Amino acid sequence: MTEFLAFPFFHRALAAGTVAAVLCGALSFFVVLRRLAFAGSGVAHAAFGGVALATLFGLPPGLGALVAGLLVAGAAARASDASGISEDAAIGVATVAAMAAGVVALGFVRTNVDLFGLMFGNILTVAPVDLALLVAAAVPVLAALALFFRPLLLASVDEDGARTAGVNVGAMRLLVLVLISVTVVVALKVVGILLVSALLVLPGATARTLFNRWPGLLFGSIAAALAMVLGGLLLSVVLDIAPGAAIILLGVALFSAASIGSRRRD
Amino acid sequence: MSIGVRFDGVTVSLGGRRVLDAASFTVPPGLRTALVGPNGGGKTTLVRMLLEVLAPEAGGVAFVDGAGREVARPRIGYLSQRSTLSARAPVTGLDLVGLSLDPRPGFGGRSAAERDAREALERAGLAPELWDRPVGKLSAGQRQRVLLARALAGRPPLLVLDEPDTALDAEGLRTLRRVMAEELEAGTTILFVSHDTDSMGGADVVFRVDGGVTEEPAESGP
Repeated sequence: MTEFLAFPFFHRALAAGTVAAVLCGALSFFVVLRRLAFAGSGVAHAAFGGVALATLFGLPPGLGALVAGLLVAGAAARASDASGISEDAAIGVATVAAMAAGVVALGFVRTNVDLFGLMFGNILTVAPVDLALLVAAAVPVLAALALFFRPLLLASVDEDGARTAGVNVGAMRLLVLVLISVTVVVALKVVGILLVSALLVLPGATARTLFNRWPGLLFGSIAAALAMVLGGLLLSVVLDIAPGAAIILLGVALFSAASIGSRRRD
Repeated sequence: MSIGVRFDGVTVSLGGRRVLDAASFTVPPGLRTALVGPNGGGKTTLVRMLLEVLAPEAGGVAFVDGAGREVARPRIGYLSQRSTLSARAPVTGLDLVGLSLDPRPGFGGRSAAERDAREALERAGLAPELWDRPVGKLSAGQRQRVLLARALAGRPPLLVLDEPDTALDAEGLRTLRRVMAEELEAGTTILFVSHDTDSMGGADVVFRVDGGVTEEPAESGP
């Protein structure tokens, strides 16, 4: 096993996993606080349709994923402002529409699309260019989160109070959804649709059971994401199992242990 | 400078029902003004327009100085009847009041906001040992004091209180009446919605809101 640790591809996997974990862990704080788990999952699944449609039209797959993700984010943000359609219904409709369009598009695609890789990713095959793209996206996303942290936090815990204090609540909701979309797209190549959904929900949910103040929740979420990704990677090597599945299963185990521990503490 | 509020021909419909029909009146600067009237008469709708949470179909709201000249929207201290503050919010009273005082994006310390937040929590009567406790771990009455502190924080020139007598416990209400007296002394304009102006210590001006708005004789309390 130890010789495995010396290979450059494993170093890239560790680096990509670390960046994706910090990014997703920080966003997971807001995903859990704003109950956006379904939105995160919806954006990730819509990206599948975007990739398929972009491939059909000879466009970069990442562009298709980004457009599909932003469409779902826009639909979710608009539904909350407009009357009559709830946010989860809008996300549900946009997500299944994007996925169905993707399946239809795949029927016409002559090139080979790695569906398994798209769904589950393979962090061990991260190329240097993928890692560079991930870092290039992580910097502005984390900077935006840090810059807008105060209005985002206030709007996430008390919408009317934030509005009265002069915060543009609709813009904050859209900002979170756009940041989720960008994160999903850049992390997709590295960790796959299912894993990126899990990374947006499990770290924040785990930290929520352990901490009841925002600093603990935020940094606990990032720590849980790092433990999931790095621990899962090592487990996948030790047990010779798929890294994506190992990361998710470790995340579920951490969440379960934290939930049980928190219940016993109460 | 004391700030007044001018409602001019305000018309609002909600769910197909006309709640306010061309309502025009002025909340005078530096006084206690009460909005009274039946449930569904449009009192909270007027407050929501004032806070820019709701836009009228016709007419508008303007802020005026003592001479009746229009001025920019001031900072408004608001205590709501029902708060949207999540009971599980991972923030302390000090966090919440500080964030509400200065929610601008940016980096760096916010020592002025924190200082004002501490002062407001003290004025609202929340014991200092509770300032750093998450709001979810506070009793309902203590949480109301945090919300009262948020309304008072930074000494805004206009205080809007939506049925504070239902939102606060008896001790909280006593604190509110004391603070209202201090604020009036300092020239703050107070607009409150209530079914019982006596419980608020009376009002200088009373408007009955029931689809339209009419002025009623005021009975100042102690």
